[in-house]
Amino acid sequence: MSETIVSMRGICKSFPGVKALDHVDFDLRSGEVMALLGENGAGKSTLMKVLSGVYQRDEGTLEIFGKQYGDLNPKLAQEVGVAIIHQELNMCKHLSVAENMFLGREKRRGIRLDNASMEAEAKSILNELKIDLDPKQVVGELPVSKQQMVEIAKALSTNARVLIMDEPTSALTAREIDDLFRIIQELKAKGCGIVYISHRLEELQHIVDRVTIMRDGQYITSMDFKDVTLDEIIAYMVGREIKEKFPRVACEKGKKVFEVRGLNAGRMVRDIDFSLYEGEIVGFAGLMGAGRTETTRAIFGVDPKEGGQIILDGREVAIRNPKDAIQAGIVLAPEDRKKDGLCTKLSIRHNIALPNLDFLCNRFGMIRWGKEAETCDKTVQNLKIKTPNVEINAANLSGGNQQKVVVGKWLARNSRVVIFDEPTRGIDVAAKVEIYHLMNDLKKQGIAVMFVSSEMPEVMGIADRIIVMCDGRITGELMAEDATQEKILSLATQFEKKIAV
Amino acid sequence: MNTKPNPIKRILNTRGMGGALTAFAGLIVIYIAFGIINPTVFSGQNIMNLLRSMSKYLLIGIGQSYILITGNIDLSIGSVAGMSAMISATLMTMGVHPIAAILITLACCLVIGVLNGLLVGKWQLPPFIATLGTMFVARGVAYIVNGNRNTDAIASGIGKEAADTFGNFFYYGSTLGIYNTFWIAIALFVVFFFLLSGTRTGRHIYAIGSNVDAAKLSGVSVLATTTKAYLVSAFCSCVVGLILCGQAGMGNMEAGNMYEMYGVAAGVIGGVSPLGGTGILLGTLAGAAVWQTLENGLNMIGAQVGIQRLVIGIIVVVAVFLDVVVRNGAHKKKPAKTGAAKTN
Repeated sequence: MSETIVSMRGICKSFPGVKALDHVDFDLRSGEVMALLGENGAGKSTLMKVLSGVYQRDEGTLEIFGKQYGDLNPKLAQEVGVAIIHQELNMCKHLSVAENMFLGREKRRGIRLDNASMEAEAKSILNELKIDLDPKQVVGELPVSKQQMVEIAKALSTNARVLIMDEPTSALTAREIDDLFRIIQELKAKGCGIVYISHRLEELQHIVDRVTIMRDGQYITSMDFKDVTLDEIIAYMVGREIKEKFPRVACEKGKKVFEVRGLNAGRMVRDIDFSLYEGEIVGFAGLMGAGRTETTRAIFGVDPKEGGQIILDGREVAIRNPKDAIQAGIVLAPEDRKKDGLCTKLSIRHNIALPNLDFLCNRFGMIRWGKEAETCDKTVQNLKIKTPNVEINAANLSGGNQQKVVVGKWLARNSRVVIFDEPTRGIDVAAKVEIYHLMNDLKKQGIAVMFVSSEMPEVMGIADRIIVMCDGRITGELMAEDATQEKILSLATQFEKKIAV
Repeated sequence: MNTKPNPIKRILNTRGMGGALTAFAGLIVIYIAFGIINPTVFSGQNIMNLLRSMSKYLLIGIGQSYILITGNIDLSIGSVAGMSAMISATLMTMGVHPIAAILITLACCLVIGVLNGLLVGKWQLPPFIATLGTMFVARGVAYIVNGNRNTDAIASGIGKEAADTFGNFFYYGSTLGIYNTFWIAIALFVVFFFLLSGTRTGRHIYAIGSNVDAAKLSGVSVLATTTKAYLVSAFCSCVVGLILCGQAGMGNMEAGNMYEMYGVAAGVIGGVSPLGGTGILLGTLAGAAVWQTLENGLNMIGAQVGIQRLVIGIIVVVAVFLDVVVRNGAHKKKPAKTGAAKTN
C-alpha cells in the first residue's frame, strides 16, 4: 500500500483583489501520478507554487513526508524533496548537461571544480532513468524534449521525491511524449509522487492514476482515474453558471469586412481560415498556447507569414509589417501590455499619439500640438482613464488604466478591423465592463472586431460567434446562442492524435 | 478633470527637464567657483573662447544624445569627425572649391551613418560592436585619403584667401561679437531640438528607445528611425570635422579622437539616459557647457591635464550616480506616499 507523501489541507491564498485559492485540499501518494486539472485561472499553478515554496500560503496546513511545515521557501522545498519542472525550461543553454545538473551546488576538490565526479554522477542518474545523453553535451544543442529530461534528472539528483510537471508535453512530438511517459513510469517505480498538470485530457489515460479537479480557486473533487470519463471531468472543470453580466447589443450582421485564407506562420498558426462581418464581435477561444496570439501577430505583420491571404473589403492587402496593417485599417491591441503595448518611460500623451502621428502631423512631419492635445483629451475622456493629466508616465498608471491607454490609442483612428488580444487580463470588473462597452461601440459602427480571450464566460457573453483554436489550428466554430462551456472546452482540447497507442 | 497646468509648470514638467535644470545649476556653481579662484574666467574674451570650444562638444553631444535616446550608442563619432577633417582638407589641398569639398565630405560621412543604421537597425548587430567596427573603418579612411600622412595647409590648394574664408567661417571669424563656431552649433541645436521634440521622427526615436516592441506594434519602422538617428550623429560629426579642419587650416589624421566619449559625457551629465527613452537636448547643451567650463576652469587655475581628466571622470560618474539614486528614490517613496494618504 502506498503512503501519502504530501497532504495539503484548507490552503488559502489571496492576491490583491483575487482569492486565488479558497480552502483547497490536496493529497499525493508515493508511486502515483496525480493529474491536477482545471481551466485557466482555476488555481492549479498557484497551488503548486505554494507546495514548492514560491508562494506563502495565508491559511492551511502542509505536510510533506509526514512532517508539518510552516513557511516554505524554494530552497527549503528543494531540501525536503519537492521539485518543479516548469513550463518554460530554466536551463543555462551554454553550459553542459552535468554543469546544469549541479548548478549552484557544484562539487569541488579544494578550490577547483571536480568535473569528473560531477559528470560521473550525472551519468549514473541519466542511466538510472535510461536516458541516453552525454553529460558533457551543451544543453542548448539538445532538442526541447531532452532538455526537459535533463531538468527531470536534475530534480532527481537533488533527491526529489515529489515532482511537479507543468504542461510537460506542450512542446514535444509524439515520439518524445512516449519517451517522457516511459521516464514517468520509471519515476513511479522508484516511488516518486508526480503531480501532472495538463490541458491535454486525452493523454491522461496513458499515465495517470488519480485526478484532482479545481475550479475558481476551489477544490472540487478527486478520484481514481479509472472511475471517471473525460466528459465527466470536463463537466467538473466547467460546472458553473456565468455569474458576471455582460452587456450585449443586438446588431444586424452586415457585409463581409475581413477574411483570412490559409494563413500559416510557424508551428502555432496552421491553415487558419475565417471571416469577420460588420456588426459582429468574433470571439477566439482556446487554452493558453493554442496559437491565438500568434495568429493575431501574423495577421498584423509582426511575425513573418509562410503563406495565406488577408482580404479586406474584398481586396487582398499585402501586410509585411505593422505599419502596412495600420495603413490598411487593421489594428491590434496586444496581449502583453508591458512588453508590447506601452512605452512605459513615455507620457500618456506620447503613447496615445504614437500610432496616430500620421494624421497628427502636417505634411512636413511636424506635430500639430493642438490636434494632438485634442485627440489625447478625447481618448482620456472617452475611455475614462483616471489620471491627473496626460503628461504622466504610462508606468505610473494602474493596470486597468494602462490597458485603457493600450486600447485607446487605437480607437483614436478610423479602422476597419480591430483585434483585441486578452484586453481584460488582470484588470478589475468595472474596467472590464468599460472595455466591453467599447467593443460594442465599434460593433455598432460596423467595425469588425476580433476578440481573443481565455476567459470562457467573457467570450460567451460578448462575442456573437466563437471560433475555437487548439494547437495552432481552428478546431471549430459556434454561434453564441449554441455555445456551452462544455462544447468550447471539448473543441479547445481537440489535439491532433500524437500518441502512438 | 483634465486641468491644464500653467505654462511655466508645463515647461518644468517636461520629461527630462529635471536632468537639464540640474546640469544648468551645476554649471552655474562650477563657473562661479572657478571665477572666484581666478576672476579671468569672467572676462569677455574667456567667455568667447568658452562658447567656441564648447560648440564642438555640443555638436558631438547632440549626435550622441540622439543615439542614446534610441537606446543605442555610436562609437564612430570621433572617427567620422577625423574622416571629415581629412577628406575636406585633402580635397581643398587638391584645389577643389570649399563648397564642393564640404558637400563631398558630407556625403562620405552620411554613408557611415547609413551603414550604422543598417547594421544596428536591420541586421540587429549590438550597437557597441557595429559602431566599433565603423569607428575603425572611418579612422582608416581618414588615414588613407592622404596616403597615411597629415595634409598640407589647405591654402596650398585653394589659395590663401579662400583658406582664410573657410577658417573664418568655421572657427576664427565672429558675428555680433560671438565666434561663428558657436552660431553654427546653436543653429544646428535649434534645428535638432525641434526635430526631436516636435516631429514624428523625434517621437519615433523616443519610442524605440523606450520599448522597441511596442513601437514596432504601433507601426514605427525601427530601421528607418535608427538610420535617421545615426544620420543625425554622422552629420554632426561631419560639421565638427570641418570645424577642426578650419581651426588647423589643414587635415590631421588623429582629429576628433575620443570625441564619441565626450558626446556620451555631455549627454549623460545633462540627464540623457544611456538606457534610452529619456533625455532632452537642453540637457545636452548644459552637459557640454559643464564639460567645457570644467576644462577651461581647471586650465585657468593651473591644474595639470591629469587632474583635469580625473575631475571630469568623477563628475560623469557622480552625475549618473545621482540620476540613479533620484530615480530609485522616487520608486521607493511612491508606495509609502499612497500608504500615508490612505491612513490620513
